[in-house]
Amino acid sequence: MEIFETVNWSLLAPILVIQAILLIVALVDLIKIEKTNGPKWIWAIVILLINIIGPILYFVVGRRNH
Amino acid sequence: MNQWITLLNKEFLEMARNYKWIWVPLTFILLGVMDPLTTYYMPQIIDSVGGLPEGAVIDIPEPSAKEVFIMSLGEYQTIGILIIVLSMMGTIAGERKSGVAQLILVKPVSYISYITSKWTAALTLVVISLFLGFLASWYYTGVLFEFIPFGSFMAAFGLYALWIALVLTLVVFTSATLKHPGAAGMVTLVTVFVFNMLGSYFSHLLEWSPTKLLPYASEMLVSDKWPEHAWPATGMASILIILVLALTVIIFKRKELAD
Repeated sequence: MEIFETVNWSLLAPILVIQAILLIVALVDLIKIEKTNGPKWIWAIVILLINIIGPILYFVVGRRNH
Repeated sequence: MNQWITLLNKEFLEMARNYKWIWVPLTFILLGVMDPLTTYYMPQIIDSVGGLPEGAVIDIPEPSAKEVFIMSLGEYQTIGILIIVLSMMGTIAGERKSGVAQLILVKPVSYISYITSKWTAALTLVVISLFLGFLASWYYTGVLFEFIPFGSFMAAFGLYALWIALVLTLVVFTSATLKHPGAAGMVTLVTVFVFNMLGSYFSHLLEWSPTKLLPYASEMLVSDKWPEHAWPATGMASILIILVLALTVIIFKRKELAD
């Protein structure tokens, strides 16, 4: 993959870190939370499989605040 | 004043428990760096996706740094506003539904403190997140393309942050006056959309309209000069924020007393 050689890693690394933080925080919250909007296992799949957008989607619509 | 600080701290604590202090800033940073990166690496992305016939040459003119940064503004205008509205629409409506609002308001807490503490907390989170996002976008645009003068950047941020503050005030208003969080979010989004449309159709007539704050922010970036009608627009936005906030307190008080 030639694209990996041309990419500036000092710019991409922060994004990968942010992505990882979002994923971990969303998962930890999903485990601790009592109830979500919709089944929990679906949210687990969404968070794990949909890059970047999955965890954000979980925080915006999946969390039930009260 | 003491009571207000306590209420504000309660809001901040709740945002920490909801992880809002983590995910909102991070999401806004991602929104900011998305456009500089994808624009810069567009040729490689097209190459790696493939599917082009042999020998096809696509000549994409390289956009200027200013154009790229203005593209990032567009992300906040769509996805950013959507995130703000969806994550804040329950701030009062949700508490009323669950009974927390009643629990708080049974105590000698004034309606003004209740509403303004919520508004201040939400505004702090959103403005800090927006600033971090803008800063990230500015930095990435600078490294990949060219650095935009920091003064213009700050002025553009100020103009745009005021518009976002107005949107946020609208969310607080609908959240306080409507029973259902979903309805509050919907009404806010439709209102913002309609006003934006009207603002762009009649843009020559509505130079002082707050919906012009985004175009003025772009203009500021392009010309490095403070746009002529930017002051009336900022004044109008500030007045609207105060009016909507006052209206929120009045209507919320009546509704609560009636319930």
